[in-house]
Amino acid sequence: MTTTTTAPSTKRTATTRSALSVSGLSKRYGERMAVDGLDLDVPRGVVAGFVGPNGAGKTTTMAMILGLVAPTSGTGSVLGHSIDDPAAYLGRVGALIESPAFYPSLSGIENLSMFATIGGHDPAEIPTLIEEVGLEGRGDDRYRNYSLGMKQRLGIAASLIGRPDLLILDEPSNGLDPQGVHEMRTLLGGLGSADRTVLISSHDLSELEQICDWLILIDTGRSLYQGPTRDLLAGTINGIAIAAHDPRDDDTLCGVLAGRGLRTRRDGARLVVEMESGADVNAVAALVNRAAFDAGIVLVELNPLRTTLEDKYLSMVQGGER
Amino acid sequence: MNRVIRAELMRLVRRRTIVITVSAALVFAVVATLALFASAKTSGPIVSRGPITLARLASDRGGTSAFAIGSSFVGFFVFVTIIALMASEFSGGTFRALLLRSPNRMRLMIGKLIATMMVAAVTVALAEVFSFGMSLLLAPSKDIDTSVWFSAAGLRGGLVDFVTVLAGVAGWAIFGTTLAIIFRSTPLALGVGFAWAGPFENIISQSWSTGLRVFPGQVLGALIRGGTADLSLQRAVVTGIVYTAIAATAALVLLTRRDVTS
Repeated sequence: MTTTTTAPSTKRTATTRSALSVSGLSKRYGERMAVDGLDLDVPRGVVAGFVGPNGAGKTTTMAMILGLVAPTSGTGSVLGHSIDDPAAYLGRVGALIESPAFYPSLSGIENLSMFATIGGHDPAEIPTLIEEVGLEGRGDDRYRNYSLGMKQRLGIAASLIGRPDLLILDEPSNGLDPQGVHEMRTLLGGLGSADRTVLISSHDLSELEQICDWLILIDTGRSLYQGPTRDLLAGTINGIAIAAHDPRDDDTLCGVLAGRGLRTRRDGARLVVEMESGADVNAVAALVNRAAFDAGIVLVELNPLRTTLEDKYLSMVQGGER
Repeated sequence: MNRVIRAELMRLVRRRTIVITVSAALVFAVVATLALFASAKTSGPIVSRGPITLARLASDRGGTSAFAIGSSFVGFFVFVTIIALMASEFSGGTFRALLLRSPNRMRLMIGKLIATMMVAAVTVALAEVFSFGMSLLLAPSKDIDTSVWFSAAGLRGGLVDFVTVLAGVAGWAIFGTTLAIIFRSTPLALGVGFAWAGPFENIISQSWSTGLRVFPGQVLGALIRGGTADLSLQRAVVTGIVYTAIAATAALVLLTRRDVTS
């Protein structure tokens, strides 16, 4: 059975400080449970990453939060309003779900003007939004002539209409080239603020690791972890990579370190000093460096190996921490 | 609702759309009027649902005859156009995107339909005015006295023609929207709509004359033509209202209850 890991230091229940919370949220399609009793709580003002494999239920969860899909069961609130009444909160929510959808024959600005009008917002802000997402000079081009990256940017601009308190972005970097991913990461990184909560689903874990201060990991419609990114990755330095200037010194180095109570293993061309859980990485690094120096060995690498979000994610999704 | 209508009008009323609409109305007027005047028989009675005669063209409703008769082909065109427009809203994801700004699905769809019908009303009015103008230009070639066209009866007849054509167009638009909502796929909805309103109704009606009075497409066609030999205008209005009410109810129930997944 899958259990949810919640960061102990920040364990919280849904409160008015939550931008978004759901409890026991489920969606069944025939025999398949797309979302299975999901509990979420996203505090206000965080940039939250929503992570899970394909089919984990991320988009369905977002669609339920946005009132597009009716939950089979469960409750929830968005910005203090029940998810049963999306009209009460959608005016303060900006969203890009699945993929950007605009009218191909209209220009970017005309599309945004239409969306602003329908939402009761002032179209005067549109030139600023176009500039914010990096589409200046292309706003008058027809949407059908936009590249995939420009379409994604326009989708982000549309979600920002009315300066929403909550942004929900589903795979905003989907289909972008490396340059586009980098630019999108910079753009997304600037969206969060004390007054705005951002929920981003993405497969780009390095992107989420860099821009998110809160993480939600789900699999098969259930929550695996939710809490601060730093808590998930805290204490996750699992070794120190070292390399002697002269590789012939490796065996000597291993012996010297063993004499100081440190275990090593080979990892390709380099050695890895294994870390005990909870060990002080700086102290161990200093010990390694001193031992090598005392033995007359020059180190050309001394690099703490940090468990990445990807490592953590894979271990959780593949069953390591379920 | 006002915001939805305004937003939809922003999309529909643009220079390109206006040029296309005016051009279409003009082409319709020219083709319908030329065809009518060319095919008008020199003798015969003035029967509103009978063959076109010069005597009928010289009657008080002669000025809008080309519009009234030509419009009988407009319904099907409106039907497939609305199917394509509305179904692409679902398959292209724009309906989903609009729902995020205007979450009341019924209000959104009705607002879009009202805006579309506003544009349709202007187009129909233009087509009627243009065909009236074309008829005025062609009347001397057939020695038709047009003074009676400007009589109160003539103008009233023109207004009735406008209302019946617009009502028929609205009916087709609702049927088209219903198919779009049911199938949410442009090719599928177009295929079903085209097959039903095209070959199916017409082939069945040839061997089963009751079909001319009960099939939705035939009923709306009769409404646009101001009644036919098989179906009076009054009967067409009542039957048309019943059909469109059923279609609209089914569409709105589906629209509000189904998940929006694309």
